[in-house]
Order: sequence, then structure tokens, then C-alpha cells
Amino acid sequence: MGFVSYLLPRFDRVLSLGVAIASIGYALKLFTQAPLTLQLLDRFGVTLLVDPLSGFFILTNALVTAAVILYCWNSGKTTFFYTQVILLHGSVNAAFVCTDFISLYVALEVISIASFLLIAYPRTDRAIWVGLRYLFTSNVAMLFYLVGAVLVYKASHSFAFVGIREALPEALALIFLGLLVKGGIFISGLWLPLTHSESETPVSAMLSGAVVKAGVLPLVRCALLVEEFDPLIRLFGVATALLGVGYAIFEKDTKRILAFSTVSQLGFILAAPEVGGFYALTHGLVKSSLFLIVGVLPSRNLKDLQHQPIQTSIWIALAIASFSISGFPLLSGFGAKVLTLKNLLPWQVIGMNIAALGTVIAFAKFIFLPHQNPERPETIQPGFWAAIALLIGSLFLANVAYYEAYTLENIIKPLATIALGWLVYFLIFRHITLNLPRFFEKFDHLIGMMSLMLILLFWMVMA
Amino acid sequence: MLEACVFATILCGFFGIIFKKNLVMKIISMDTMSTGVIAYYVLVASRGGLFTPIFSTDNPGNYADPVPQAVILTAIVIGFSIQALMLVGVMKLAEIIQRSKQTRLNKITRHE
Repeated sequence: MGFVSYLLPRFDRVLSLGVAIASIGYALKLFTQAPLTLQLLDRFGVTLLVDPLSGFFILTNALVTAAVILYCWNSGKTTFFYTQVILLHGSVNAAFVCTDFISLYVALEVISIASFLLIAYPRTDRAIWVGLRYLFTSNVAMLFYLVGAVLVYKASHSFAFVGIREALPEALALIFLGLLVKGGIFISGLWLPLTHSESETPVSAMLSGAVVKAGVLPLVRCALLVEEFDPLIRLFGVATALLGVGYAIFEKDTKRILAFSTVSQLGFILAAPEVGGFYALTHGLVKSSLFLIVGVLPSRNLKDLQHQPIQTSIWIALAIASFSISGFPLLSGFGAKVLTLKNLLPWQVIGMNIAALGTVIAFAKFIFLPHQNPERPETIQPGFWAAIALLIGSLFLANVAYYEAYTLENIIKPLATIALGWLVYFLIFRHITLNLPRFFEKFDHLIGMMSLMLILLFWMVMA
Repeated sequence: MLEACVFATILCGFFGIIFKKNLVMKIISMDTMSTGVIAYYVLVASRGGLFTPIFSTDNPGNYADPVPQAVILTAIVIGFSIQALMLVGVMKLAEIIQRSKQTRLNKITRHE
């Protein structure tokens, strides 16, 4: 489809929107029908599995892509841009449905290439360097992943996910390393903040909203298929949530806060794999709308924003999205958070509640920005409002899907968390300025971290 | 023995990525690493036998397993295209940096 739009440049926008809508329709259909397993070409072949879990992820991807295309509608991007967006969309969908290691590898590599081209779209030196850094990190991780995949094949003579049960622990460690890096989890995911914050607004919305989930879904699937890995993945979920939120609280740059909060939200998805799908959906919607909104703010520095009132209409959108991610009732972030916190194991509860509190603190910075109506409102493209309306409307709709959450106890708890978070924000975090070093995000350290992570994983799976 | 050599190649490539300062050298180290991975796939394929799995009437012995070979073919193509993309990126970057250095030099000379 992407190639067709390259051949017919005049219809590029319509065509790509059509693809996204088709995906939405298909994902909605998935919720009603039974899980479908496709096995092409015997036991060595490609296996696909489409069930409600991947339905959530596909729906996220489709909505985010549609919003991004609407946002770019009048921005004069070339056909090349739309082609890449659709290629990315397609390969992310492919990564969501496949259940064997090799199709997953191919899908993930296509994702790397397409997102590199999107990141490097402005053709400035900074964009190219950020893109190269991303491509390099993910490719090295994927090489480790390939070694792991062949070890699985050696043990079980098939590349299917279930084969990992019979494989050696080394294979497990290598494959997990690849997926953890790709999904931006824990310390191996520190490439993510710079990449997501430095790319253009629509691209970072797409990367943060949909693309990182391509590494997360296989991990969730592994946790569901093989019970022994479940604690391992949950542990990584908690650690990631805490790490991401810890950085996000101290950050001063709006886009970097969002990127770090992506890291922590991915931790939430992994912390309760059974219900990760719904959380992924709400997070994708919220994060891409936040990125799009922050993209139209006059400055990226929070300090400047505190002295420079923003337009009220933008502020309302920003506040709704921030409320949803903090887990405020009436928005789907609330349902997702309640569902996740309910499915935690006892030892996870403390960590995840701290992470939820941290999220509230980090997003209090956005909610309490000053706002007013300027005399001459700046003209914002209608595409922006269309995209935001789509995303926030879906947030409200998704809220209905889990209405059992509305018990008194469930409502009081998030409200208490939010109140406590705001209190802490006003008392402490408003005044302190602490600059965490960006030391670990340098390129060499990313690769070094990867080897540390590998050793850690080896140690964990051996034990 | 062969397996040890293959892993040594992968590790060499990995350390090259960490320690080399030059970007082009880093990319070449990554290529070394992927060569190691490919060799490992071929090695895994040849555990069953050494002969090329082509259908014919005379039976020369045990066949190699065709599946890993087919799979790694895809991976070779992908790795190759990614490397090409990265080299283009590095070249572009080098060009931009060169140009900005030159404009800076021009500014300095104009001031004097």
C-alpha cells in the first residue's frame, strides 16, 4: 500500500488514512471473533496468531497512525514521508501478529529502517546522528537476538515462540536482550529518551505511541506462554517503571519528560502481562496526543513555559491527557491503571504504587502551567485539532470498555494518589532543581549497558 | 572448535563497536559481528550433514539442514541494506560537518 501511494503521489494522504482506517476496522473485528492461528508452510513456516491481545495493540497502532496522518495533513510533507509512515505501520502490525522468532526479526528490522528514515527526515546533522544512533543500537541488539533464535532452533527444530521452553538459558538471555533493547525497557532502554525527544513531533508521537510496543508485545506473549518467565518479566516491569519515573520527575524539558514517562509506562505494561493490552492502548493514545500537544507549545523548556501563558484551548487538551495518564476517573487511563494494579503480585504492589505516584508528580508540571486567552489567537492547523479530537475521543470511548472499575474504593484510591502527588509536587519538586547527568545516554555507554544487561540476564536465567 | 572461533568473531565485532572511535570503523565492526552470526547459522545447519540439500537421484550422504540457511539469507539481505543505509548516513554527516567547519573558517578569516 505504501508503494502504491509512492506511485500515485497525489493521493498519498487519502491512501495512508485509508490503510489506518482498515486497521482500525480489523482490530475491532478481532474482539468479536475467536483467536485465529495461521500456520503457513508446515512447522518451519511463518506462524501468525491474532487474538484480542494483539487486537489491542493493532488498534493502538491504527489510531496513532491515523492521528499522525491527520496532524500532518496540511504540513506539506512529501510522499516519501507518508510512504515511510505506512511502511512503519504495516511492519509494526506484522510484529504484533507473528509468533515465530524469524518473522518477528524481519518485522523489527523493517521497523528500524523505516523509523530511521522518519527520524532523519529533516536531513539536519542532529537528526541524522540521532537516527544513526538508533539504527546502530537496535541492529546490534538484533544480532544478539539472532544468535538466540538459532539456539532455540537448535533445541526445538522450530522458530515458534513455544520452542523457547526447551531451549538453553543462554538462548533466552540473548533473545530477551534483543527485545528489551528494542522495547526500551530498563537500563538497556536509555537510548529511547534522546531519540524520542529529538525527532519531529509527529514522528515522536508515532515512535512513542506505537513502535516501542513492537518489542514489548513479544515479551508479554512469552510471559503468557511460558509461566516460568512470568516473574522475570514482572520484575523488569517494576524496575523499568521506577527508573523511568525517577528520571521524568527531575527533567526540565517537556519532550524528555514524555519520553521518560514512556519508559515507565512500558514498565506498567510488563508488570501485569495478562492485562497489558488495555494499558498499551490507553498509553499509546495518551502519549501520542501529549507529544502532538507539546509540539505546538511555544517552548520546550518548562521554566520558560511557567512564565509564558499558553492558549487556554491547548491547555485544556493538555490537562485532559495528563489527567488520563495520572489515572483520573472518567478517562480510560483510570480503568487501565486499576486493572493493572489489581493484577499485580504482592511483591510488586509497593513498587508500582510508587511509580504511579511519580507519574502524577511528573505530570503535575503540565497541569499547573499558566494559561490565558490571548487577544490574537495563533492559528493552529485544523489537522492538529482533528488528530487530538480523535485521540482524546478514543480515550473516553475506551473508558467505557471497563466500566466495572467504578467502585467507590477504586475511585478513591487514584484520587488519593493524585492528591498526594500534587502535594508532594508543590511542597518539594517545584523548588528543587537537580540535574541528573545524561552520562549513560552517550552512545558508547548504550552499547556498554547492553553488555552489562546481557551479563545480568545470564545471571538471572541461570539462577 | 569451530563454534569457539565463531563466538570469538562475534565478540571481536562487539568489542570493536565499543572501543573504536571512528564511526566507519564501528560499522565495519558491526559487519564482523554479523558475519559471525551468519557463520553460526551455517554451523548449526551443518550439524546433520555437510551436503547441499538439492534434490537429485544419487544420494551423496547426509544433507545439511536447509531451514537455518534459508532464514539467514533473509538476515544477510537485511543486514546488508542496513549497513548501506548507515554508511550513507555517516557520509552525509561527514559532509555536513565538513561544510560547517569550512563556513566557520570563512567567518574567522573574514574577521581578521
